[in-house]
Amino acid sequence: MMEEKLVYLSPQWRDEVENRLKKELSPEKMKRISTSMTNIYKNCPDGKDRFLYFKCEDGRFTEVGVGEGESPQAEFMITGDYETFAKISQGKLKSQRALMGGKLKLRGNMVKALKLASLADRLNKVLSQIPAEY
Amino acid sequence: MSRNTTNTQDPFFIDFPNRISQIQDAMAQEGIDVYLGSRLRTLSWTTDAFCPWRSYIVIPSDGLPTAFTFVIDAARIADDSWLDEDHVLGYAPMGGMDQISVISGFIKDTLSITRGRIGVENGMSNYLPEGNLTHYEYEQFKLALSDAKFVNAHHIIDRLSLIKDEGTINRFREASRIVDVGHRAVKDALENGGYNGMTETEIAGIAALAMRRAGSVWEWSFTGGNEIASGYRTGLAGGACTPASRRKIQEGESLMVDIHAMFKLGLGDHSHNYFIGTATDRQRWHANNFIDLVSLCLKTYKAGVSPVGLAEEMMDFAEERGFADYMVPGFEHGIGMMGDEWRIGPSDGPIPYWTDPDHIYQEKELLICAMQYACPDENIGFRYENPIVIKKDGCEPLSKFPLGIEEIH
Repeated sequence: MMEEKLVYLSPQWRDEVENRLKKELSPEKMKRISTSMTNIYKNCPDGKDRFLYFKCEDGRFTEVGVGEGESPQAEFMITGDYETFAKISQGKLKSQRALMGGKLKLRGNMVKALKLASLADRLNKVLSQIPAEY
Repeated sequence: MSRNTTNTQDPFFIDFPNRISQIQDAMAQEGIDVYLGSRLRTLSWTTDAFCPWRSYIVIPSDGLPTAFTFVIDAARIADDSWLDEDHVLGYAPMGGMDQISVISGFIKDTLSITRGRIGVENGMSNYLPEGNLTHYEYEQFKLALSDAKFVNAHHIIDRLSLIKDEGTINRFREASRIVDVGHRAVKDALENGGYNGMTETEIAGIAALAMRRAGSVWEWSFTGGNEIASGYRTGLAGGACTPASRRKIQEGESLMVDIHAMFKLGLGDHSHNYFIGTATDRQRWHANNFIDLVSLCLKTYKAGVSPVGLAEEMMDFAEERGFADYMVPGFEHGIGMMGDEWRIGPSDGPIPYWTDPDHIYQEKELLICAMQYACPDENIGFRYENPIVIKKDGCEPLSKFPLGIEEIH
């Protein structure tokens, strides 16, 4: 039986993201950090901009949100094309490479971002394992 | 945060928040909304941290400044500086994180400045790591902050940093004490035949080890760390820059030992000279000329004297004694916290960005009393350097190593 694919950035996909993050990334794995991050998706297939928002308190994911328009304020804001994020979520592109190549733009404290780089990789790895339609 | 930052009883205490307030007062007088410093001297003077990577400081019209540096060094600078980690930010080769994007974004979004006047540091220098804003940086900042007006404003820092506070002078005193330890170690190593087979680089290393043990963090000079010259290298024409070479020390030659220590961004810089073996009468004549000139120069420095006035007096003396041909006709170079070297005072002389020859020294100015004697035809030369504090009726030489040109046997 084929695994059901969820539409990327849909409410159902968001629910699955939250479930898996809570299940697979323990507060210890998340180094008990408190932070927030928004990915701003430019040029989605329907022409709209969307966001994917994460909030983490003491290493626990307390909020995962997707939506259109203005995103919630976050400590880190990463902006890029839908296509770039989609490749990262599929495990086809590393976020570090996308940032270093200028495909993604980061706003926030770079020193803190450096400390959180490995955590972002863990988060992206969880996302890449969710069967999704892009 | 630096441990000594808030302890006003510490001899090395510097009131950095007050420095920032003084800059902000000057900015207000000149209608500058934000100061974007990029020179190494500015970074040292405002952050109390050594910033070896390209760094910037953004000083708003009020409140704390924020420093920006290459991300790999930001945490270390925050640890050394009086500024906390929220005021030392990093830039990196990533989208949106390059230095232009990070700093212009900070000015626009955090400081909410899109118009108004931005003070920058522009100019030229003979000193390699000066750190003026490059043409590319200037053009990119102008593009990123297109509604703002950029004005050259380095004179604010230059003016405020000219007269040294007690904490700064004490840091230089300590750096000079450390340099004297280095000189003693070199002398001990050279004596009793110790010089046999020794290279200039080894002497530089002996001094470095002794000074580091005594508290120095770096042989700071961009002229090659500890500058050691022997034989003909001491007499290179105008040769006031001698990175140590692998040349071996030899009997019958002069030896120039110019060593540098850094203590809390205060700089030690003292040059002492030797003869290896017994000097000939002619060599001793050169040496006596030099010692007499240094003595006269140290007696002459005081408030009210100018570089050109002092140089004329020294060159007259040299001419009278018949050794003017061997003198470099300059007797000083500027010094301040790490990154502030060579030019003395503001850039308001006849030749932009060089010391004004008519600059009038004031009490609590700090400079290097510097002299270079070189006779290339005879392969002999000497150098004197010593940080001095200008006083009302004289000067205070900070290195106390006894003046002389001793024979080493």
